[in-house]
Amino acid sequence: MAESGSSVEFSGSLTLPPPRTRIFKIIVIGDSGVGKTCLTYRFCAGKFPDKTEATIGVDFRERLVEIDGEKIKIQLWDTAGQERFRKSMVQHYYRNVHAVVFVYDVTNAASFRSLPAWIEECKQHALGTEVPRILVGNKCDLQDSIQVGTDVAQQFADAHSMPVFETSAKNPNSQDGNYGGGNSDHVEAIFMTVAHKLKSQKPLVLSQPPEGSGGTINLSRVRDDGGDGSRSWSCSSC
Amino acid sequence: MDGGGLPTSRVVSALAMRRRFIVTTTAQEPSCGRKQKLAEIHQALISDPVDIETLRRAAASKGGLLTDELRRKVWPKLLNINVYKLPHKPGRDVRENHKDYNQVVLDVRRSMKRFPKGMPSTERAVLQEQLIDIILAVLKHNPQLHYYQGYHDVAVSLLLVVGEQMAIAMLDTLSNYHLRDFMDPTMDSTKHILNYLMPILEQVDTELHDFMIRAEVGNIFALSWLITWFGHVLSEFKHTLRLYDFFLASHPLMPIYLAATIVLHREKEVKQTECDMAMVHHLLSRIPQDLPYELLIGRAQDLFDQYPPSLLAKRAALQSRKSLSISTFQAFQLSTLHQRPDSVLRRLTKAHGSSTSKHGLEAALPRDRGQLWGKGNRMVKMAVWGLSATLGAAVFAVAHTAMDWGPEVLLQLF
Repeated sequence: MAESGSSVEFSGSLTLPPPRTRIFKIIVIGDSGVGKTCLTYRFCAGKFPDKTEATIGVDFRERLVEIDGEKIKIQLWDTAGQERFRKSMVQHYYRNVHAVVFVYDVTNAASFRSLPAWIEECKQHALGTEVPRILVGNKCDLQDSIQVGTDVAQQFADAHSMPVFETSAKNPNSQDGNYGGGNSDHVEAIFMTVAHKLKSQKPLVLSQPPEGSGGTINLSRVRDDGGDGSRSWSCSSC
Repeated sequence: MDGGGLPTSRVVSALAMRRRFIVTTTAQEPSCGRKQKLAEIHQALISDPVDIETLRRAAASKGGLLTDELRRKVWPKLLNINVYKLPHKPGRDVRENHKDYNQVVLDVRRSMKRFPKGMPSTERAVLQEQLIDIILAVLKHNPQLHYYQGYHDVAVSLLLVVGEQMAIAMLDTLSNYHLRDFMDPTMDSTKHILNYLMPILEQVDTELHDFMIRAEVGNIFALSWLITWFGHVLSEFKHTLRLYDFFLASHPLMPIYLAATIVLHREKEVKQTECDMAMVHHLLSRIPQDLPYELLIGRAQDLFDQYPPSLLAKRAALQSRKSLSISTFQAFQLSTLHQRPDSVLRRLTKAHGSSTSKHGLEAALPRDRGQLWGKGNRMVKMAVWGLSATLGAAVFAVAHTAMDWGPEVLLQLF
């Protein structure tokens, strides 16, 4: 039924042609209010949201980027932070995830202390160590109320073999702080780091064995195709 | 904590007043059906016992309850609430020692979009603090209930229409009945309710159903629709209110039937999307803001009649699970059948010499409404009503300035 003129119809066949662009699926998790929505919005829309509300269930955002000449679709799954959602609602979205971004709020020590629970959550959803993870400390623009020091975060990240970034998803133009215009690029760099990492892991299959020592990312150049021109940026963690 | 009660009352009274102003100025589309409906609703309200069937029908049928003024009178009846025995204003203690306090504050303070655009931030802040109190008052009163993100979207929709005390009474009842399943310690019951969605689609459009199954889209795209009664996703408050009329008068599963009609309404779009979880989730979770609500409400009712929950549960072999919202609904509906009209309730309250705060009653319902509404200039009547319902002269000044942004609100809300 539903015969339409353009007839882009699936006639019972379950085999679909492979999409031309590769898709990287990244799930963003962390406590309520740490800024997951802000970060994902910033990356996908290229600007800072005016105001974000509580995420109920799971929100989806995506963006097409180009890495070394290849067009890649980055899909971000922005999840609700309240525990009751994570326990029974979000599991569906852990499936076929290529990477995980853990977010905490540098001004909220409790959100940092929750990280082991989030890591455990990933384990329970059978996300192996081969799935790249990164740790993001958000709201670092609020320098006067920082509760989680960089060194502590770095130690934690090292122990879990993941790189850590401190950033602010807030509009740097509205801040007079030391971060200035360069800060917003962190958000860009964070997700692009993950994308580079994923691109280098070819082919993208779920059962990929952990590579080498793991946890080391060397990123030489991040290209932003959002129209801001390109810039260099590097990150490494051991 | 906000400081002192007086400024709060003033500002909020101003809001109430403004809303009344808007109601009168917009309630002028000449329509015979509308007039008749208004008359029917008024008649049902003064019947003894209150003609709840007529009120339910009015709330669900075209246009819903038409005005906020009527909502303030009919909504409590739909929930069997005696507006002359409202809970007291929450004291400071509601904020003490509650496990959900932080989450509530976090969610309410960032829920700016739910308030009318153009509302001065100071007024919004006052209402946000009231919202926190309302939510915590209900949670404290019902220790078996657990806060969920989205509950605040329901609470704000009530607060903006009926004010603080009646919002507490309504939220309390809703939480124990319609929203009860969402307030368990876990969301397993919520998941169970969501699981009615696909079976409805299956009955109506197998092809669409199969497409969505192949896409493995799941049903989380409808989660916020269900648990906030669409309050979280609609940007026009008037649409939210229209749906609240409908849901308050319906079975607790009705939001799921409406969700199904929305998906069915977008059937072509869905089928033309790539058969992929992300794509379909993305499409469906972004709800079009120009949906034909009246049409969809009618269809949801038809679907409900044609495929009632019990039938779906059987056909789809839904895992049996006790739903408190469903199992208590019948008794709840019965309880609404024996309500006395407000005029009688008021007399009874007075006769009992009840010490229920007079101020509370009057804030909840205009006194001598009949005389005020009888004849003469509406604007003046509104002003008089506003004053009788609130604190007096101080309010008038505040309300006066509030008119400055009236037109904006008018565009936003009505």
